[in-house]
Amino acid sequence: MDVNISKLAKDLGKIVGKEYVHTDKPTSVVYAKDTMPWDLEEKNIPYAVVRPSNSEEVSKILKYANEKLIPVHIHGSGTSLVGLARPKTKGIVLDTARMKEIKVYPERGYFEAGPGVHLAQLRKELAKHNAMLPVFPGSELVATIGGTIAVNTSAHAVDAALGKPGDFVLGFEVVLPTGEVIQTGTESTRRAAGIDPTKFFIGSEGLLGVLTLVRMRLVPLPYFEHVVAYYNKTEDILDTVMEMYKQGIHPPLFYEFLDERAAKIGFEAVGLKEPIGAVAMMRVHSWSKVGSEDKAQKFFEFLKTGNPIKARIVKDIEEWNSIWSSRAEAGNYMYRLGMTFGSEISPRVDKLKDAFQEAKSIVLNLESYKNPEFISFGHIGAPTIHAYAFIPTKDITNEVKKALTLEMREKTEDLNIKYGGCGGEWGLTAQRVSFLKKKYEKEVYEVLVKMKKALDPNDILNRGNLQGWI
Amino acid sequence: MDIKESQAVRNTLLQEIGKCRACRFCIDVCPAYQATEWVENMSPYGRLQILKYLINGTLDEDDPLIYSIYSCLQCGRCDRLCKAKGQNLDVSHLIRLGKYLLSQGLVKGSKNEKV
Repeated sequence: MDVNISKLAKDLGKIVGKEYVHTDKPTSVVYAKDTMPWDLEEKNIPYAVVRPSNSEEVSKILKYANEKLIPVHIHGSGTSLVGLARPKTKGIVLDTARMKEIKVYPERGYFEAGPGVHLAQLRKELAKHNAMLPVFPGSELVATIGGTIAVNTSAHAVDAALGKPGDFVLGFEVVLPTGEVIQTGTESTRRAAGIDPTKFFIGSEGLLGVLTLVRMRLVPLPYFEHVVAYYNKTEDILDTVMEMYKQGIHPPLFYEFLDERAAKIGFEAVGLKEPIGAVAMMRVHSWSKVGSEDKAQKFFEFLKTGNPIKARIVKDIEEWNSIWSSRAEAGNYMYRLGMTFGSEISPRVDKLKDAFQEAKSIVLNLESYKNPEFISFGHIGAPTIHAYAFIPTKDITNEVKKALTLEMREKTEDLNIKYGGCGGEWGLTAQRVSFLKKKYEKEVYEVLVKMKKALDPNDILNRGNLQGWI
Repeated sequence: MDIKESQAVRNTLLQEIGKCRACRFCIDVCPAYQATEWVENMSPYGRLQILKYLINGTLDEDDPLIYSIYSCLQCGRCDRLCKAKGQNLDVSHLIRLGKYLLSQGLVKGSKNEKV
């Protein structure tokens, strides 16, 4: 495609103001880079970065892009772990960072936020109104509410305890790919029954429109209690999770674990005594203090039946913060020491143990890199298996990084298919078009393509994410 | 800075910036990022990426580039953040080294390269 960059800058400048259009290459590479382990290629680097402040400007940008047939890639904070944030084709990057308004309406029972609001900031604002933001990603310092809802990620939270963030969305303002601005959903705290276009945009990963306002129900802040359990081996934790679902025990809000290796790294990183084996850490929540204490006690009693070395309710919040941060630090330290290649497997819960063992075997028998270390930690109670191949060096080529990513992806996709899962956290399309085709027959993929085409006939928004890429 | 020294600085920068995972956790604490209404190349993450791509030849030296790197106030907030939640990089020190390289006009591929 032949694009006159200075004309593009001038035209976009007329829409948003010239100070909010960047066509210099340094800005373009900064916005194109994401967490994918290999470096940018020329095709990923956009012609321009444009930073609109409202839906009217977004609308004009999209109408212009349709007229000129230039792809537009939506950018929140670029924290996707599976390549959603990297433009797949040359085009315009639409940065939502200036759409940061937060309006809390306690009397209406909801809040509204611009898509560029960072979650940590939103959580702080909501806390002033005794409300909880019902999503808990590790990247919440900078992850945006627009991106979170567009992926509908559960992150740390156990779905069975809280639901997805999309379950709390009452409505949107959305700019369609062809530029029309629409309102969806309701201003009541009662969500629409039946067909509601709001649902189409939850988890649509920016393929069907640009979210310019998110309206979500206010969730009163619950009371929390914390439980930690130490085990000889990871398998005991897997058994306990399976038993929890089987017995119909209320799942905790967070049910994280560190395998034997990750527990050593994480605990050492935060200055805690090295555990003997694997560690599970749980947060339970309830709408009353008594309720949360009772829930913690009952969960603790249940845990004791699952063969832990030791389990206890942690009352000291500072101690809990240390234990909890060991989970994040395990990941950070591994990456500091080398590179990790991750996966997300969410098996049918009665097959959790089988899936875990097979995931381990996949990592230990990779072909594109011999003898990586297997490490696993994360939201096991969800259940999600994050099986990581750890390579103790950063000195590997782009080609090997790509090959490793692909091999991990393909093999763990097969595991998701075998055990009935589809991933519940990292987003599906950008890395997983092949998965969609394999798991659900080609007709399902074709339905998605038809939906995309109906709303975005020129394939303007996030082009490449529905085509499959690497 | 002689040629040997500047090469050593380039190598250090590439090696250290190579550890950056592009998590962007550092962006919000940067006063320049806040002051410029959240432009990512005015953030610690952005400056490191620009330095990396400049040294590896993806970027040429130009005005906006210089401006981005020099927007660092050396307040060190990003260092704390990277040590606590990121990859334990001395971000502001790396940016200072980058500024120095640029000021010497010694960045490989630059129009002003003196060597």
